[in-house]
Amino acid sequence: MRAIRYLVLGLILLTFLVACGKKPAQEIEGTQGSVNAVVSEGLGKYAPEDEKKLKDELASAMDEIKVQDNKTFKNYDKAKQMLAEVKKNADEMKAALPAKKEQAKQNALQAQESAKGAVNEAKSLLAKAPKGKGTAADIQALKGDVKGLEDCLAEVQGLIEKEEYGEAVTKANALKEKASGVASQITQALEKVKAAKPGKKK
Amino acid sequence: MKLIVATVSFLFLLSLYGCLNEKPVPPEVNLVELQEASLWRAETHLYLPAQYSEYKENLIRAKKNLLRINSQFRWFRDYSAVQTEFRQLLTQGEDLFKKLQVEKELKTKLILEQTETLRERLDVLSKLTFILHEGGPPRSNLAKAGVALSEAVILFKGNQFLSSEKKLTEAETYLTETEKGISPLLNRYSDLNLISKWKKWAKEAIDESREKDIYCILIIKSEKKLILYKKGEPVKTYPVGLGKNGWLNKRRSRDNATPEGKYRIIGKNPRSRFYKALLINYPNENDRREFQNAKRKGLLLKKTNIGGLIEIHGGSKEAITYGCIALDNGHMEELYHIAGIGTPVTIVGALNEQNSISSILMEMQQGYGQKKTP
Repeated sequence: MRAIRYLVLGLILLTFLVACGKKPAQEIEGTQGSVNAVVSEGLGKYAPEDEKKLKDELASAMDEIKVQDNKTFKNYDKAKQMLAEVKKNADEMKAALPAKKEQAKQNALQAQESAKGAVNEAKSLLAKAPKGKGTAADIQALKGDVKGLEDCLAEVQGLIEKEEYGEAVTKANALKEKASGVASQITQALEKVKAAKPGKKK
Repeated sequence: MKLIVATVSFLFLLSLYGCLNEKPVPPEVNLVELQEASLWRAETHLYLPAQYSEYKENLIRAKKNLLRINSQFRWFRDYSAVQTEFRQLLTQGEDLFKKLQVEKELKTKLILEQTETLRERLDVLSKLTFILHEGGPPRSNLAKAGVALSEAVILFKGNQFLSSEKKLTEAETYLTETEKGISPLLNRYSDLNLISKWKKWAKEAIDESREKDIYCILIIKSEKKLILYKKGEPVKTYPVGLGKNGWLNKRRSRDNATPEGKYRIIGKNPRSRFYKALLINYPNENDRREFQNAKRKGLLLKKTNIGGLIEIHGGSKEAITYGCIALDNGHMEELYHIAGIGTPVTIVGALNEQNSISSILMEMQQGYGQKKTP
């Protein structure tokens, strides 16, 4: 009789242990949701290493779940802990993402403004050049340059609108450099034009 | 009975111990995880996608095996096979690092070479479009190529080789567009029939100068030069400016092209808006005939005029005109006094197959980078 009691007690204990090892479906769903949310908001664009780390951590947690899934006496405590950690990181990254985005945007806008200034300087110099016959030959070519610069400036704006801030900064910096070069070429060409006079149609 | 219960309890506790106490996994597992992260950070997935995928597949397989082992009772766990697998992965990863380094070195070399070639191409086209007074889409494309090239350099300096390569491709596309845009114009200067005709005109003018002991003016567009001949010998050479589309032959009013043909001075203006001017007899008979032919063929609109008032005048050799030939005022002063009414003026595109324009065209057609290849 006493032995049966031990056996029943053992079975209860066994049932309790097995019951404790319930797969943490809710935690998995919650963590995956948090990770997906921050990834879809563009974490990879602003912090690619963070994204990689987060995905790897989630994969490790899922591996741990798989290990427990295959065990008779399941214990998901470690997996739950891991999932909680991943979720916490994902949520923190998500909270920090707008600031990172904003910073990247501000950098792009600042670079765009500098490039715009350089392009406008080239444009205003070109506007000073005499029109029509007598204009230095170089001015003619430089008009095309300024048109090209304006097109590039529009491309920078397009990149900012698409939230491609990194690319926008690179293009804007390159544009600024080129526009400054064109502005000095226009200045040199204007020197040549001084002797030229306005003309008549042929 | 007690013995049975004790045995069951012992086995149960032993099982619990086996399940709850993890046997440490081989250290290689952690090392591989660190290695994979390093490979990713080094952008192996971008530079060597196939090899990296293979490595990742092996890693996934090894991890599955590890999971399978970890799921077993501690008693039955044997990590030796998995450990070997992870060791192999470490070796594979190290090889991948070496390959990555080689790949990056190769990319660096290629990017530097390509940047140099494209910059050279950009410089040549930039000079050429300046000469041609090209202010339209070809020149805009050239500016865009310049920006893309600068972007490539910025990205290269930031070790973003793949992005740098993309920008180089973009720059190349713009340069090709520029070349396409100016090629029709340049082709005139390598057209042997046209050059032969121009040579004939020049020879006839120089022969006339020699035979009649008179001055004659020869204007060579490709050289942007005006040569004054006396008794068939060159006595003066002046640099000149041409029309906005001066590289083309004038066909109609307001096309801003400079006519090509055999003309004579028919008027002298000492008080020109452009210092002093010598008027030539454009359009001559040949020009009129070609103009009518072009109209008949529908190449020109019916209401189009042939244009006129083509002069050799002062102002500046740097000036851009509507089709006239412009000289510096000092040179114009000299020429104005030498040239008289009736002085022959011959305007040609080029006198040699190897002229300033055709040589650039040839370089473009042969490919700028080829000459750098040993």
